[in-house]
Amino acid sequence: MLSYIYKRTSNAVQVLLFVSIITFAVLQWIPGDAAQLILGSEATPENLARLRTALGLDRPWYIQYWHWLKGLVQFDLGRSYVFGQDVVTLIQQRLPVTISIAVFSMLIASTIAIVLGILAAIRKNTMVDYLATGIMQLGSAVPAFWLGMLMIVYFGLELKWFPVSGYVPPDRGLGGYLNSIAMPSIVLAIGEVGMLLRTVRTSMLEALGQDFMDMAKAKGLSSFTIYFKYALRSAMIAPINVMGLQFAKLVGGTVVVESVFGLPGVGRLILVAVEQRDVFLLQGLVMFVTALVILISLLVDIAVMFINPRIRIEMQGE
Amino acid sequence: MAEEKVLDIENLTIRTQRGRTLVDGISLHLYKGEVLGVVGESGSGKTLTAKTILNLLPENLSWEADRFAVLGADYLTLGKKDTKALVGQKIGYVPQNTGSYLHPMIRIKDQIIDGYLRYTKNNRGEALERARELVKAVGIRDTERLLKSYPWQLSGGMRQRVNIAMALMNQPRLIVADEPTTALDSTIQMQVLDLLKTVNDLYETPVILVSHDLGLVKYYCERIVVMYAGQIMEAATVEQVFSNPKHPYTRALIKVIPSLNIKKGERLAEIPGQLNAVGTAGGGCAFKERCSFRQEACEYTIREKTVADNHYYRCNLDF
Repeated sequence: MLSYIYKRTSNAVQVLLFVSIITFAVLQWIPGDAAQLILGSEATPENLARLRTALGLDRPWYIQYWHWLKGLVQFDLGRSYVFGQDVVTLIQQRLPVTISIAVFSMLIASTIAIVLGILAAIRKNTMVDYLATGIMQLGSAVPAFWLGMLMIVYFGLELKWFPVSGYVPPDRGLGGYLNSIAMPSIVLAIGEVGMLLRTVRTSMLEALGQDFMDMAKAKGLSSFTIYFKYALRSAMIAPINVMGLQFAKLVGGTVVVESVFGLPGVGRLILVAVEQRDVFLLQGLVMFVTALVILISLLVDIAVMFINPRIRIEMQGE
Repeated sequence: MAEEKVLDIENLTIRTQRGRTLVDGISLHLYKGEVLGVVGESGSGKTLTAKTILNLLPENLSWEADRFAVLGADYLTLGKKDTKALVGQKIGYVPQNTGSYLHPMIRIKDQIIDGYLRYTKNNRGEALERARELVKAVGIRDTERLLKSYPWQLSGGMRQRVNIAMALMNQPRLIVADEPTTALDSTIQMQVLDLLKTVNDLYETPVILVSHDLGLVKYYCERIVVMYAGQIMEAATVEQVFSNPKHPYTRALIKVIPSLNIKKGERLAEIPGQLNAVGTAGGGCAFKERCSFRQEACEYTIREKTVADNHYYRCNLDF
């Protein structure tokens, strides 16, 4: 168990190191350095040289990389020159927004997917199943930005149920907070629910066809026990993996939805970094998102391990 | 023996949704205290028959019968819920030993007691106590460790003992054992069947023993039903079947039982040909393609006969 976590962690470190090399190399190769970008095309060569020295850009690339890496280990992701603030501070400000809509959209998507997926599998080829199939197709076919705009027009401007844009932190009122993230969460959920629903339905159908289901029925157990204790338990592993992947993707930034709803989240920060060619910010963000995705997938793997006794016991190793 | 009918099935037919016949008008009777062997090759319909008794027929199959009474309850009029409750409460199911009949993610103890808890007012502690007794009775020594295990931590023989103990939890009035010894070593096969026989002797619980192995089943049954292509070819007591087999298929089955003094390099006997699809007999005998005594009449007609002491068979010939 511990050796497994150790193995996975050292694996994660290797991946992070690899990503750091790629990120650094790519941003080195693109034309125009940071000093040029900061001072603009009118800058004098003397000023440019001075800024390069100040930023350390005049030193060889491996020294630059080493300094950056040393910072990373100490959770120093560098400093954004567009915002004039530490990247870590910028992320800290924006992460709650992104986490909020990621968590809420996953809650909405997984509730719908699990309930409807189970029903669709149990009542295969009935109205519930057709409804589920419809949602699967709708969710993956409708673009998020368009759906978001429709919701703003109808629920925001027409009915005035939710604010059209912006984010209210929870410490300024829970109601306002929930209202501000409701629409973006729903839009994201609709995008995620199709895939998850399909996974739940498929693995539930597979579980229902297993021999142990015959045994559960022959024992005359209640339908609830048959479906939840027997079928769902073996059907949950694939959906949990999918949920983990989806959550990791959402936490890594939801550029489109954050833009449509004017939310100051990580996705928008990435957008700014790219648009303004803020190399240091971009480097920091890439490393942060990578680390987050690796962490979440590690947590998901450990969760799956706890659900599946076979893996858990083999991990403990006699 | 009290002539109480545990199972009274007349003219059972099982069809697919498209109307293909899988079991073709069979009648089965089982009396209290009896062990009935249902023997046939794969595809003969024996497992489907057992599944109908257990109310486990897949949804894409349907059955009809003139009579289908199990433990006095008529399946033809019994509601869905009541059928499920009857099976859970009064019928013990011993499945094929593939291990897949036990849930891999649930501990043995939780699987063994959940059916019991559903149909008694007893609490978990009492249920576990009963599980311990039964697990011990089926010959498992380290009961505590077994109950805490997951199915995949056990050997095939152990799993089948667990299945038998589980089937006995609700003091069943009928045991349906569907190929209970598949994939087990021959010594373990005997142990498992001995165990079923002991239960039968001790509690007079009637048993339906479905198997493809006539040579094995004969030691444990009073009567044998030989099935082929969804039909019953012959039904009689074990003595009658072995001393005076009336059907060529039964004769062939007896012939292919491997003997212990087989010589090295000698081929095992087999029945030539393949099991043909059910319902292709076209009025004639279902076994005609593989029968070495085939006559012209077998193509279009078949005679059903019952001779001395309820010895039934379906053949145009008289041996």
